[in-house]
Amino acid sequence: MRRRSTRFAGPVAGLLGVALLASACGGSDKADTASTDTGSQATATTKEPALSATLNASGATFPKGFYEVVIAGYKKVQPGVTVNYNATGSGAGRQSLQDGVVDFAGSDGLVAAADVSKYKGEFLYIPTTAAPITVSYNLGEVKDLTLDADTIAKLFQRQIKKWDDPAIAALNPGVKLPSTDVTVAHRSDGSGTTENFTKYLVAAAPAAWTLKSGSTVEWPADTQGGNGNQGVAQIVKATSGAIGYVDLSDAKASGLQFAKIKNKAGKAVVADLAGATAALAGAQVNADLTYNPLNADGADAYPITAPTWILVYKNQADKAKGEAIRSFLRYMLTDGQKLAKDVDYAPLAPALLQKAASQLDVLVVPA
Amino acid sequence: MTITTAPPSPPARRPLTSPGRAGWSDRAFRGVSLGCGLLVLVILGLIAVSTTREAWPAFSHDGLRFFTSKRWAPSADVFGSLPFVYGTVVTAIIALVLAVPVSVGIALFLSDVAPRRLRRPVSSLVDLLAAIPSVVYGLWGVIVLAPWISGVYDRISDVTSPVPFVSTLFAGPSTGRGLFTAGIILALMVTPIITSITREVFDTVPVTAKEAAYALGATRWEMLRAAVFPHSRAGMTGAVMLGLGRAMGETIAAALVIGSSPQITAHLFRSGDSMAAVIANEFGESGGVHRAALIGLGVELFALTIVVNVVARTIIARGRRNG
Amino acid sequence: MSTLLLGTVSPARRLRNRLATASIWLSVLVAAIPLAFVVTYLVRRGAGIVDWKFLTGDIPISSRLRGPGMGPAVLGTLLTTGAATAMAVPLGVLAAVYLNEYGKRGRLAGVIRFLSDVMAGVPSVVMGLFIYTVWVLRFGQTGFAGALALGCLMLPIVIRSAETALQLVPNELREASAALGARPSRTILTVVLPAALAGVVSGALLAVARAAGETAPLLFTIGTVTESNRHLFDGTNTSLSAQIFINARQPFEGAIDRAWGAALTLIVLVFVLTAVARLVARRFTVR
Repeated sequence: MRRRSTRFAGPVAGLLGVALLASACGGSDKADTASTDTGSQATATTKEPALSATLNASGATFPKGFYEVVIAGYKKVQPGVTVNYNATGSGAGRQSLQDGVVDFAGSDGLVAAADVSKYKGEFLYIPTTAAPITVSYNLGEVKDLTLDADTIAKLFQRQIKKWDDPAIAALNPGVKLPSTDVTVAHRSDGSGTTENFTKYLVAAAPAAWTLKSGSTVEWPADTQGGNGNQGVAQIVKATSGAIGYVDLSDAKASGLQFAKIKNKAGKAVVADLAGATAALAGAQVNADLTYNPLNADGADAYPITAPTWILVYKNQADKAKGEAIRSFLRYMLTDGQKLAKDVDYAPLAPALLQKAASQLDVLVVPA
Repeated sequence: MTITTAPPSPPARRPLTSPGRAGWSDRAFRGVSLGCGLLVLVILGLIAVSTTREAWPAFSHDGLRFFTSKRWAPSADVFGSLPFVYGTVVTAIIALVLAVPVSVGIALFLSDVAPRRLRRPVSSLVDLLAAIPSVVYGLWGVIVLAPWISGVYDRISDVTSPVPFVSTLFAGPSTGRGLFTAGIILALMVTPIITSITREVFDTVPVTAKEAAYALGATRWEMLRAAVFPHSRAGMTGAVMLGLGRAMGETIAAALVIGSSPQITAHLFRSGDSMAAVIANEFGESGGVHRAALIGLGVELFALTIVVNVVARTIIARGRRNG
Repeated sequence: MSTLLLGTVSPARRLRNRLATASIWLSVLVAAIPLAFVVTYLVRRGAGIVDWKFLTGDIPISSRLRGPGMGPAVLGTLLTTGAATAMAVPLGVLAAVYLNEYGKRGRLAGVIRFLSDVMAGVPSVVMGLFIYTVWVLRFGQTGFAGALALGCLMLPIVIRSAETALQLVPNELREASAALGARPSRTILTVVLPAALAGVVSGALLAVARAAGETAPLLFTIGTVTESNRHLFDGTNTSLSAQIFINARQPFEGAIDRAWGAALTLIVLVFVLTAVARLVARRFTVR
């Protein structure tokens, strides 16, 4: 009889369940202490003393590629500091900072004047990098395509439905355009990339662009949504005739083709880091280090260059965390800047870098 | 190991429990098991209460418009859920139109048509369909199916373009991600559910009824129509409703292939969005009223699927009692 | 009906019968073809990727990178489904005990039975939102929060399969035990449940297989990590299913490869569980 042999299996299984739960509970206590005392024997390569902290941050997806390499690089300098950057989007990042659940936030946009009072104190903008947003397309043989703001606006508003439209042909004399249908790909999630792209269209094509600007906009009906820059890149890559806005880093990594854009000076500029740096040079930097490089002046400026910042509270409550934040951000503004080009982000111009670094001295860390 | 040669030992004769404490422990055990049973009730109640509470900012922000408006514009703080309800219903209907004939066919095959040695492999095939996680169907749908099927869609829309009504339904161009592709993937997922319940129902048809039909000289098809279908109507309806409930709630596969474009359109080959899919796609980057609105979509979806499931289970239960 | 003569079936009726039979065969084929495609792709794309390094290595910090690593996801899947099982199976089995041993045909048992069927139909994404509202908002995203959501999904499946298993236990066993003077609770724990163990285990394994493949309940509850996190209550975690979902939306070859590899790993896991469940059910069925 089988019953005999399995007589106690029922109760035992129940006990096992309880034991499993209990041991899992126990595990969590250990984790709390473990995360703060590791790395005390770290071998720092800089003069800085070894730090130990876990920094949680969230925000913009746009600079994710840059922050990832900076975090990886910083880990070699300060092994005791763990930085978790959760790319949840600029809006969600700002919300998290407002709620005080993260140590700093990444944001491609500025805090609205009405929201400033909702934050738990004064916060600082620290510019970290900038990068071009490409207008990527999938048109087989057409390797060289020039667009201007009005045409881009009409394409994304579905007023131009075929690639051999006269408006596109006029900008591209000598290019044989196919009569492929246009498929528009945009972000399905809220995004700083969408915000900067639409801000550019508002600034450069005020008459043609009617969808306003924002982290989400009401796209026309027959368009496609993709999740994240990568999701849009995937649609463009897979669909003949597709057009979408993707950050340079992701566009290049996915092997997409992207258009030259006519800038304010009337020159068609390719999306690259030189164009972005030129746009940064043409932008006016405010006292709080906010600036707008979109549709910038300058002959070589790439007009859809997006800025990004890290937002951090000026008065830090926790000594270990505050020191780690300062050290991490200092690394990002010094050695970290050298990593930017490898992943297709533009390093900040020296003047702006210096201002950003001086912001770090404003940071108040308890002694 | 000890080997005892003793006769049945006294302890076996002793009552297994002492009376006083046993009564208490017995009642406690009964209470605990009842508590576990009631847990189902508690969880269902908690789902309704806590999600509604978190969604309240959206409900009070938009009022009835939340349910009736077709404008979903997080940037303008306007949240109308109609496009998602539409997409949910349309994809579920496409899934049922595709899956029901196939499922009923497989169920008939298993109950009345299949040669004996084919029954087991075919029933494993259905189990296999059910065992594949939805995210894997989604992965296959977005990487393999969508690029391939957009060519098929283009051909269909070329062929049907002169036909007045159909040309609207099948108008191109398509990227392959859209309402119809989502319907196809959902069909794969609901087929095993509808098949297994329909088959259960078919198996309860009395053999005497079948034999009576054959005795009257009926062909197999006529037997199925005269004996099996009338007997199984309620059960089949219930099975289809259960499939509908599953199709409406399916999230991940739909999120990957539906195209994420909140719109009410008759163009089935183009992109749309469904309630479950938009929750999965937008939740991570949402905040404030937007997040509340997404939870509100969850409440709406919960209510819809509860209604569908209650109706389905009632029909099935009644069919079982009558059958 | 005048044509209903023995042995004479009119050509039209015969044709109709043939057509019906053919379409029934065809429906089996229609279901088999996409299944064959899915499985073929899975094996072809996944087989070259899954190896020991893939199963244990960390997830690359940038999805652009090629190469292995789904170790944290394998661990996360085992951890969350394990914890979900530890919660849902005892509770579900006890609920089934109530339904079959105490409530029986009573009104309350009927209501619970009906509601657990209804609960089985609640979309998994709603379970995720539910745990988000009652747990994550207070305690944050952890592996345990994911386990709670999965446990809610498993509960009704466990209840109904365990009840079916209990129904198959012959009444004579209960009566024999009662005749020996055993109290009902003792009878259930030492006689009925052990006798039904095979059915209970196979039902539970099917529920585990279902939970292991679920993605939607985890989206809002466990977050994501690239390094293994073996702590259930501390810090975010990840799972194979969540990683497939994330990587399926990337344009990069390396990410798509990882998605296929994770999918193959997950399917093998689910199939092993399903096969074991079947084996247990077949080997130990009470006859």
